[in-house]
Amino acid sequence: MQQLKANLIEHIKTSFKDAREKDYPNENRLDFYVNKQCIPSILTYAKDRLGYIHLSHIAIVDWLEDGEIELIYIIWSPEEKIKMFVRTRVERENSVMPNIDMIWRQANTYEREFREMYGIQFQGLEGEQDFLLEDWDGPPPMRRDFDTEAYADDTFFHRPGREDAQDVREAITKRSGEEIPDFAKKYSR
Amino acid sequence: MRDKATTLYIGPQHPGITGNMMVRVKVEGDTIVKATTEVGYLHRAFEKLQEKRNWLQSFTLMCRFCVPESDPMEESYARAVEAIEGREVPERAKYIRVMVLELARLASFMLWYGGQNGSLGLYTMGQWSVGDRNYILDLFEELTGGRVYHMYIWPGGVRKDLPKGFEQKVLKTMDYLEKRLGDYDDLMFDNAIFKKRTQGVGIVDKEKAIEHGVVGAVLRGCGIKSDIRIDDPYEVYDKLDFEVPTAEGGDIWARALVRRQEARQSIRIIRQVIADMPGGSFYNKIPNPQKWKIPAGDAYVRTESVRGEIGMYIASDGGLYPRRVHLRGAAYVHGITLLEDVLVGENLADISAIMNSLGTCPPEIER
Repeated sequence: MQQLKANLIEHIKTSFKDAREKDYPNENRLDFYVNKQCIPSILTYAKDRLGYIHLSHIAIVDWLEDGEIELIYIIWSPEEKIKMFVRTRVERENSVMPNIDMIWRQANTYEREFREMYGIQFQGLEGEQDFLLEDWDGPPPMRRDFDTEAYADDTFFHRPGREDAQDVREAITKRSGEEIPDFAKKYSR
Repeated sequence: MRDKATTLYIGPQHPGITGNMMVRVKVEGDTIVKATTEVGYLHRAFEKLQEKRNWLQSFTLMCRFCVPESDPMEESYARAVEAIEGREVPERAKYIRVMVLELARLASFMLWYGGQNGSLGLYTMGQWSVGDRNYILDLFEELTGGRVYHMYIWPGGVRKDLPKGFEQKVLKTMDYLEKRLGDYDDLMFDNAIFKKRTQGVGIVDKEKAIEHGVVGAVLRGCGIKSDIRIDDPYEVYDKLDFEVPTAEGGDIWARALVRRQEARQSIRIIRQVIADMPGGSFYNKIPNPQKWKIPAGDAYVRTESVRGEIGMYIASDGGLYPRRVHLRGAAYVHGITLLEDVLVGENLADISAIMNSLGTCPPEIER
């Protein structure tokens, strides 16, 4: 396993000199940190030349404090049985990423979702603008600074009878005249 | 008379659609010339909710990602958290987890038997298999308190030990189900209608499978031997003896042949884990959940579900709450780009059968 990883590091660093690696010695995992512009070329290289033919996942994390969003392309080699994490970061403001759906078709779904939910534009991405949302003109709702609760409070109204946020157990006992059992009292507000 | 292209909206409320989603198809006669999927009807923002739930509260949302087979999500969440934290899991808990995962697979196979046949108008199978699934749900109810959502496999092990005499009940149920699988074969695989409607329909060839990142029985149905339990083993799968069936053709029939064998392999695995089940602890207790912090780091783990590879990416910033929980379900791949591609050229009446065969589960697409 370690020999396979060493070969992999050598291959990647020969072709992508700026790539930085992080090894997880006890796992079948190897991370590479690259510039976002390298993403299509490193993934194509890994798929066509190194046998990493399976795009398992594209994970996304909003690092609000850093002003960046991280994308992690997780690819798998059925031969070497190693998971390669190709990581890059993109600025949160005016974020633009290269598109990779010509390498793996299912990336199109990820990119459409990230465009809508994280506000990342993917160059040359095809597919309908609306994916999960419909006629949405607010901020991207999966970003960390989107407050779902505040949005719901501002946009919708509470049904009558819920203004006082009454405890459901107390409401039932008031209606039925029954006492709340001792063991359940600790759960009431 | 010249055929004219017509646009039809199949779903989101449609008995043949496998959940809340829509397929907009353009048809000439009854041949599909273009298919576009539309999702967004049941987004529950689970991944957003987890920003404000601690590590244990987040676990309770996991099983709700997908109704037909909820345990792989729980297991993958638990394993990812354990990987970041470095928490050891007792050997007994690993065996129990495998038993639960395989029971969940069997229950999901039973639903698939019903759905796949129901999509072709063959309703008897659904009545049999969904009825038989209840015997597995009875086991889950006794073990976990829940029939569909279990919240049982959690970080550190499992929530409860096996009840007294539970293994014998499981073995008895396996004997019954094994016999029933033979009955299913007679009803389904010897059925001329089933053959006629599935052979040569909904073909996914090897090139298309790799291009679209296809997983699970769909991948094995086009002759590629791939299974996370063998390729990237977890829990105790590397200690178990089982086969990974494949079939050639890449059509609905081939995928059905694969699943037919896989159900039997699940029974084989369950018998092994019960025979080899070690004693000892079933849970490496976590600290007070209100104060439980996971070190900064991330992990990505995969679990083999009936629909294929379930992936769970979790990132921690060292705090009380997950920084990010990001699920990758098999349907996320099969239910959008692949489905749109496969449907072109097919008959309008086969949409439902193809969706069932690809394991399209909209709750996995919109989490």
